[in-house]
Amino acid sequence: MDTTDNPKANSSWLVSVLTDVQFWVPVAVLLVGLLLLRSID
Amino acid sequence: MTTSAAQSLRSAEAQSASRSKALQLLGILSGFTAGAWLGAAEAPTKLVSIGISPIAISLIMVTGVFLARWSLPALILGTSSVRADVRRAPHLIIWAVLAGCLWAVANTLTIFAIRDIGLSIAFPLWNSNSLLGIFWGFLFFNELRQAGWRRWTGVLGGALVMCAGATLLAIASSTQGPGGHSFRGVWAALGAGVLWGTMYIPYRKAYLTGMNPLSFVTFFTFGEVGMMSALAIGYTGLAPLWRELLSARGVIFWLMLGGFIWVIGDLFQQYAAKYVGISRGIPLSNSNQLWGLLWGIFVFGELRGRSSSTYLQVVGGSLLMMLGVVAVAFSSASGEEQTRWKEAAQREGRRYGVAADYVEARMDGRQAADESAHSRSLWDWLLVAAASAIFVVFAGMARVPQMSFDGGPAALLTAALLLLLFISALALWRTTRFN
Repeated sequence: MDTTDNPKANSSWLVSVLTDVQFWVPVAVLLVGLLLLRSID
Repeated sequence: MTTSAAQSLRSAEAQSASRSKALQLLGILSGFTAGAWLGAAEAPTKLVSIGISPIAISLIMVTGVFLARWSLPALILGTSSVRADVRRAPHLIIWAVLAGCLWAVANTLTIFAIRDIGLSIAFPLWNSNSLLGIFWGFLFFNELRQAGWRRWTGVLGGALVMCAGATLLAIASSTQGPGGHSFRGVWAALGAGVLWGTMYIPYRKAYLTGMNPLSFVTFFTFGEVGMMSALAIGYTGLAPLWRELLSARGVIFWLMLGGFIWVIGDLFQQYAAKYVGISRGIPLSNSNQLWGLLWGIFVFGELRGRSSSTYLQVVGGSLLMMLGVVAVAFSSASGEEQTRWKEAAQREGRRYGVAADYVEARMDGRQAADESAHSRSLWDWLLVAAASAIFVVFAGMARVPQMSFDGGPAALLTAALLLLLFISALALWRTTRFN
């Protein structure tokens, strides 16, 4: 699954990170983990 | 094509195949060494028997981890190498910090899981992280693509067999019964597995764009120590946490030593993820449970006086773990699969504007042609000296607890660890110069 193909060269690496689908997977998992921790406590 | 041109092409192809095979073997060796050192990291923590909260224990270990994650790269390659890597791929700082945050939350969840459902149920649940790692590796990074059914069976079957072996070992080594909140504990253990399995996305991302594992871990640790500190303060409160740390002065050294040993294991895990991918690297380093149990049984006499069925579970679980390790180790990536890895690396390079020759060289375990040789500066030596001094100060305060400890097996296991460290470090140095 090619989720990061981007024909336009990004000028900013931060934009590249934030527009990368693969970045949001761990972010979402982290948020769910924090919520789980809060609910357990 | 002339005969000499055809011969030189064949020779180049043979060299490339031989290099690729050497890197695969290096990754497998790194994964195996990672398991041994990650398992040994539990040994110093077993010396801690006073009543400190699990969160404070985690925080102190992470402090040792933080010191090791800066001093070891400074000692091995020098921080100039870290700076050069970051200049090439600055986006990886965010990925590394994110991975560190995932690790800290997962580690805290395991504390709740062990408390609520006991180690025997919790461990196999979070050990499922290797299956999730295989899934992410396949989905995002072209791992196991065009690998053929034999390699699929080896990797997936090996990981499943290791999970079964881990279950038996966890049942045998468990001394803690469920705490009465089984539903909550199961969620905590599964959550930890998902967080750890997902943590390998940043790992693979970093190594596909050429970052050196030694550079990645220096930023990973900011996420780790930052998130762990926030959780510890959030759960305990600043003043009570400080009082707890002061009262734990006598055991801080043992916990920090555990963190230090853990970092050595984790460094090899990073090299395994780099050279054999996360689908194979994670199951190999998950053999740490086997090593942890060896320390527990032979050095700390944990199963003394237990029934013969417990010993049967240990033998059966250990054999299954070893069988799984062998299955994964013999399923190294084929040429076609490695071509798909390179495609994923080129895609990452294009997206983040990292030079193609740099990505290609680093994936091949080499420095790029335009990279200068790195050396250690005065700053690096100061960093190493400061970290060592902190360890020495806490070693001076450390108390040696009165407990069952068998020196003979401890010496043998330590010798085995050092031998593995020597062989793997030498192989890494000769093949990649720690790239």
